[in-house]
Amino acid sequence: MAPVSTNALTGVASGRHEGTKSRSKLFSSRLRAFVALIALLMSSAPRAAASRIVSVIPATTEMLFAMGAGDRLVAVGSYDRFPPEVDRLPRVGALLDPNVERILSLRPDLVILYGTQTDLRLQLDRAHVPYYPYVHRGLADITQTIRSLGARVGVEAAGNTLAERIERQLAAIRTKTGGSARPKTLLVFGREPGTLRNIDASGGVGFLHDMVETAGGTNVLADVRQQSVMLSTELVLARAPDVIIELRYARGDTTAPEDLRAWDALPAVPAVRNHKVFMLQGEEFVVPGPRVVIATERLARTLHPEVWGR
Amino acid sequence: MAAPTDLRRRLLVTLAGFGLLTAVVCVTAPLVGSTTIHLSRVFNRAIPFADNVDAQVFFVARLPRVLASALVGSAFAIAGVVFQAFLRNPLASPDTLGVSSGATLGAVIVITFHIDTAVLGVSAVPVATFAGAAGALGIVYAMSIARRRGTSSTVLLLAGVALTAFLGALNRFIQVIGDYTDTFRSIRWMMGSMDVGSYTDIVVALVPIAAACVAIGTLPRELDLVSIGAEAAESRGVDVRRAERVALVSASLLTGSAVSLGGPIPFVGIIVPHIVRLIVGADHRLVLPAAALFGGTFLVICDVIARTAFGPAGMPVGAITAFLGGPFFLWLLFRRMR
Amino acid sequence: MVPDIPLRGILEAAELSFSYDRAARPVVNGVSVSVSRGTIVGLLGPNGSGKTTLLRLLSGTLNPDRGRVHLEGRPIATLSRRDLARRIAVVPQETHSAFDFSALEIVLMGRYPHLGAFELEGAGDLAIARRAMADTGTAALEDRRFAALSGGEKQRVVIAGALAQASDVLLLDEPTASLDLGFQFEIAALLSRLNRDRGTAMVVSTHDLNLAATLCTELMLLKEGRVIAQGATDTVLTPTHIRDLYGVVADVTAHPGAGHLTVVPLGRAD
Repeated sequence: MAPVSTNALTGVASGRHEGTKSRSKLFSSRLRAFVALIALLMSSAPRAAASRIVSVIPATTEMLFAMGAGDRLVAVGSYDRFPPEVDRLPRVGALLDPNVERILSLRPDLVILYGTQTDLRLQLDRAHVPYYPYVHRGLADITQTIRSLGARVGVEAAGNTLAERIERQLAAIRTKTGGSARPKTLLVFGREPGTLRNIDASGGVGFLHDMVETAGGTNVLADVRQQSVMLSTELVLARAPDVIIELRYARGDTTAPEDLRAWDALPAVPAVRNHKVFMLQGEEFVVPGPRVVIATERLARTLHPEVWGR
Repeated sequence: MAAPTDLRRRLLVTLAGFGLLTAVVCVTAPLVGSTTIHLSRVFNRAIPFADNVDAQVFFVARLPRVLASALVGSAFAIAGVVFQAFLRNPLASPDTLGVSSGATLGAVIVITFHIDTAVLGVSAVPVATFAGAAGALGIVYAMSIARRRGTSSTVLLLAGVALTAFLGALNRFIQVIGDYTDTFRSIRWMMGSMDVGSYTDIVVALVPIAAACVAIGTLPRELDLVSIGAEAAESRGVDVRRAERVALVSASLLTGSAVSLGGPIPFVGIIVPHIVRLIVGADHRLVLPAAALFGGTFLVICDVIARTAFGPAGMPVGAITAFLGGPFFLWLLFRRMR
Repeated sequence: MVPDIPLRGILEAAELSFSYDRAARPVVNGVSVSVSRGTIVGLLGPNGSGKTTLLRLLSGTLNPDRGRVHLEGRPIATLSRRDLARRIAVVPQETHSAFDFSALEIVLMGRYPHLGAFELEGAGDLAIARRAMADTGTAALEDRRFAALSGGEKQRVVIAGALAQASDVLLLDEPTASLDLGFQFEIAALLSRLNRDRGTAMVVSTHDLNLAATLCTELMLLKEGRVIAQGATDTVLTPTHIRDLYGVVADVTAHPGAGHLTVVPLGRAD
């Protein structure tokens, strides 16, 4: 169901005009060209644009609104918070508890769901409702998803524009921080309040890691090939980050910055010694959508205050 | 089996043997880890503590972890011995009567409803865990004495099973209605973690654990007698009601404290009493002290495995005890069925 | 109000009554017991007649709602648990050990009421336990795992434990119920011998009329919590009483070969 990348197509369609080719090779390359042409025509044929969309994923909801297709949404997921318009839309559950009946009752022509929601997919297949499977991965996948989703929904131009703008802004951040030394960064997204227990940090995979790297930091856990790492106090001491950034993103999370004092138990960590332990609050940190630019910029400002002046 | 009047000698040998093992393990464990440290630097007074990475790894990252593991393992093991004796069932554990489930529910409620206030400097989760454990035991005990004179172990067992199921369902329900971040936090907590990073939590847990140990320390012979039958024990002169009350309350104190310190770590309360019995026999005057010592040793070793054998991030210690415990439990079942 | 009883017997009780549930009818209703020294009293009655409850009352496990149990003239309620346990021991119908105690360890548990709070068993206790095992023919089973013994062996070990525990009275709740014929004889012979050699008074509750005829010098017939007959075996064990108790027509004769009364059930009384 995913659209074929136009780059791959043009490569094949233009063919290879090499010198001596046996008759069979010439024939097979022509066959390939023919098939590619048909595929190109099929994919660029105007697909029925979606006008009644259900999105259970906060990221895709934000993407649709940012592309100007927000008015096509008929329902959103339980955890969707942005933009404020979502509050007026009915909620149909999320990853663990999608309300299939509710979804079907809204007669959607496209349901955006997680690739792992196999039960939901089966049910939609049975009801002949098209769906778009979303996979949560790295930073680059965000713009890729925006483009493909935009095309799927029928706002391809807006999608491309948005994706390009995001890529441009991210590149700008990368450039701006590129000249400075990259501090060893620990990005923490979970911790038992008041203690250093049950710490969860970003490993070397995923969009949090990508954001840190874009913002001009080096993830101290880059070698751990997991999105989420259960961090022990020993590991923090061993990796000796220069900066620790804690993300708070739960709605109504009123954790005071004093809670960061828990890190004082490890004074040998450079970040603690040099008072470079920060708390950043905001939902944009956990929604890999258009606001990832804001999130990355906030990270960059924290890591490289010298570049932003003020 | 050796002549029982050697009991004094056997007791000394048991204490010496297990004591030595525990000491060796607890002294060695902080030296082992995923990071290389140098003892010379750790104890070098010349380096200010705030700059001494090796010292912090030893004193903040590792030593509390070892001490917490020893305390939690010991507590679960003793509680396991007591529950097995009073329920007259070698397959019983601190989880059987719903005490563990109650503790978990306490933690999940606090996490989900953001009751994050600190009580007397101790954060809410351990306190709630403790309260949940006590509540669960209260319910089970009340149910079992409500009907007849005396406490039937079958009634107690069934009440505990029902309570565990109910609390488990309540647990899941609360997680579902909570925010996904809270659910994540709950699940994380349920995996258990010995990485306490401070000595305060350990000392706080030590108080009820020590009190419970003192109380249970008056009962080893009574555990022997009760394990044959409540009426049989009664006719031999044991005040079964009192002994049961003291034992179950103490065992729940142990379980509640252990869970509040390290999370609900499975299987320690089943495996350790059995291994100990295989070595020292069934007499609880030997089994109790041996289990107290070996329980600590066992969990310290599991925690060392958990934090060194699986890459820098390690594994939750509960996964290790489950890996060991599951097959062990099955082996036990087959052995008894023969 | 408990009437004064002349102190003939070692274990006495007058007008005992007890119900498990305050509202329900009493399980034991106005039962008077007198066990003389050195006698074996049989307790007969159908299921639900209150035999087990009566034994629990006599051993002090349960407190009667009315009436009192006296041991050598003293109310057992005034004795400490340990005191009482040193004088009265109970042999239950079945003993199940959840853990791997040896037979000797089971017997040694009988020494509990004789020891202080943290006192360990000494050489004296071991000697008493071993003697008890010798008396019950279980000396060879000392180191064997109790749970692995046969039914008859287990019962003999438990009786040894009771002997090691108490000197005055043995209360046995259907001691041969779960045993096969051979073991039934064994236990009956054992109890008889112990009674002769040690002079221990016994109260044996049983379904087995022939066992009662063999073993017991006195019988108490219990029906629905009340005593319907009490006295010497020869006078109490009659077809009328058997019919009254069990609803069964039976023939009771003195068997020349057996040397005691035998009971042959003939059929249900309609």
